[in-house]
Amino acid sequence: MLANLATLALNGLAWGLIVALIALGLSIIFGLLDVINVAHGDLFMVGGVLAWTAVETTGSFAAALVVVPLLGMALGLATERFAIRPILRNPALTIVSTFGLSLILQEAVRATFGPAPRRLMAPLPGTLPVFGTNYEIYRLAAAVAAALALAAFFLFQQRTRFGTWMRAVRHDRETALTLGIPVARVQLLTFALGAALALLGGVIAAPITTVDFRAGVEILPACFMAVVIGGLGNLPGTAAAAVLLAVTEGVVSGLSDPTAARITSLCLMSAVLLLRPQGLFAGAAR
Amino acid sequence: MVEPLLVVSGLAARIGRVPILAGVDLAVPARGIVALLGRNGVGKTTTLRTIMGVVEATAGSIRFADQDITRLQAHLRPGLGIGYVPQGRGIFPLLTVRENLYLGLRGPADPAIETHVFERFPRLAERLDQKAGTMSGGEQQMLAIARALMMRPRLLILDEPTEGVMPRLVNDIRREIAAIAASGIAVLLVEQNLRTALRLARHVVIMERGHTAFAGPPESLRADPDLAHRLLGVGAPT
Ligand SMILES: Nc1ncnc2c1ncn2[C@@H]1O[C@H](COP(=O)(O)OP(=O)(O)OP(=O)(O)O)[C@@H](O)[C@H]1O
Ligand SMILES: [Mg+2]
Repeated sequence: MLANLATLALNGLAWGLIVALIALGLSIIFGLLDVINVAHGDLFMVGGVLAWTAVETTGSFAAALVVVPLLGMALGLATERFAIRPILRNPALTIVSTFGLSLILQEAVRATFGPAPRRLMAPLPGTLPVFGTNYEIYRLAAAVAAALALAAFFLFQQRTRFGTWMRAVRHDRETALTLGIPVARVQLLTFALGAALALLGGVIAAPITTVDFRAGVEILPACFMAVVIGGLGNLPGTAAAAVLLAVTEGVVSGLSDPTAARITSLCLMSAVLLLRPQGLFAGAAR
Repeated sequence: MVEPLLVVSGLAARIGRVPILAGVDLAVPARGIVALLGRNGVGKTTTLRTIMGVVEATAGSIRFADQDITRLQAHLRPGLGIGYVPQGRGIFPLLTVRENLYLGLRGPADPAIETHVFERFPRLAERLDQKAGTMSGGEQQMLAIARALMMRPRLLILDEPTEGVMPRLVNDIRREIAAIAASGIAVLLVEQNLRTALRLARHVVIMERGHTAFAGPPESLRADPDLAHRLLGVGAPT
């Protein structure tokens, strides 16, 4: 029983770190562009589909891990340029626009990839003894990969000139402009970076879930919950909340069932909204 | 005759759909301080924001260093040599003092300028790794001025730099502004205090409801107390 719970907690950890990647993108895009990217879950889904396709054609998961996020970046650049930038002054319209993008991505995948869910073989087969059970090596690798990507993002944001620009634009666009910061370009690249993170999440997640054109719709609520619980604009808080939620859901669904797990998450989010609307980790370093 | 460094003529601007400026004229020569005065809400800040390009000019022109910048993208203007210290300071509180200070630079800082800025504002050098939001209002104001100086401006635009600063630091800041002007940087200063403006500036511009109502040397304001009273609601100081 205890070993079983440990397994579920580990599953939750891996899943939570993947959700964190997506929630982070959602949060930076909202923070710098005031855009609620309703299609962000679908970008995750496209990442999984492209990973599956890449493994089918090249046989190499490593290739997918490198190429798919780059394709995500390109997709993000094109989306910002053509679907967001022209209406950026009207935040309400961007919801309509990204909702349209969401439908386009889902239907495009259904038309080409097909409506049936598919499975991708774990690129690292085998198990490892953890807490007395045999745990899939790939799940551990997925957790490590997602954690590394998160760490790389935070380092990039804290240590590079562009990262500092991102933090400045998030706080005060006008003052950033008057200091010569190319705000439009920072926003463009932020959108692209957010998209790349979502597709990367899709690649990492593909072997531990099913690749399906509805996957984005399923993951998006968890990402929004992480953003709310972590505190809007609090990126480390968002990542922590994603992990907390997934571990809690994993353990609760092990003790009872997935419905009870989702109810627990929703209760947690409601409690945070009622008691700490700035987020669970407000006041912590951003 | 050489054209002044900054020449604003017939400037008009809207915020949203509301016309805020119509007929702003002002000129800033390459040396010395020009003071921009006017009652609350006449459009001084909007004028500066339009000069910086964050508010779009709907009519009129802005020329800087013999170049028409009326339609130039906002983020390209500071690079021409326009430093801006916004009303309310525009400090990024979650960034460190160092990050704030170097935010406007594309490459490494000019060591001579760095030394000069730290000599001028020694408090900042001691607090480089502190979050800017933890500093006092006056220190943040100095940081905002220092940040603009790091970019080697030819013109420094300051919007009420002593507003909300504790009295002990107000004179320090005014002294620094005078010193900056004396070092050869042109200054456009929005100032509430008429007495200070008349003392520091070589030229005064007074706005009324979105347009320029007076432009001239401080002496003509001193000579005509009624004018200052009518435009600013205060008696002219002696
Ligand atoms: N964002 C805004 N939305 C609507 N109206 C605005 C906005 N900003 C300024 N205004 C209006 O524009 C006018 C000019 O404002 P501005 O801030 O330029 O005046 P100011 O001379 O700088 O005033 P103060 O001395 O109080 O700083 C005011 O009537 C103000 O109410
Ligand atoms: Mg003002």
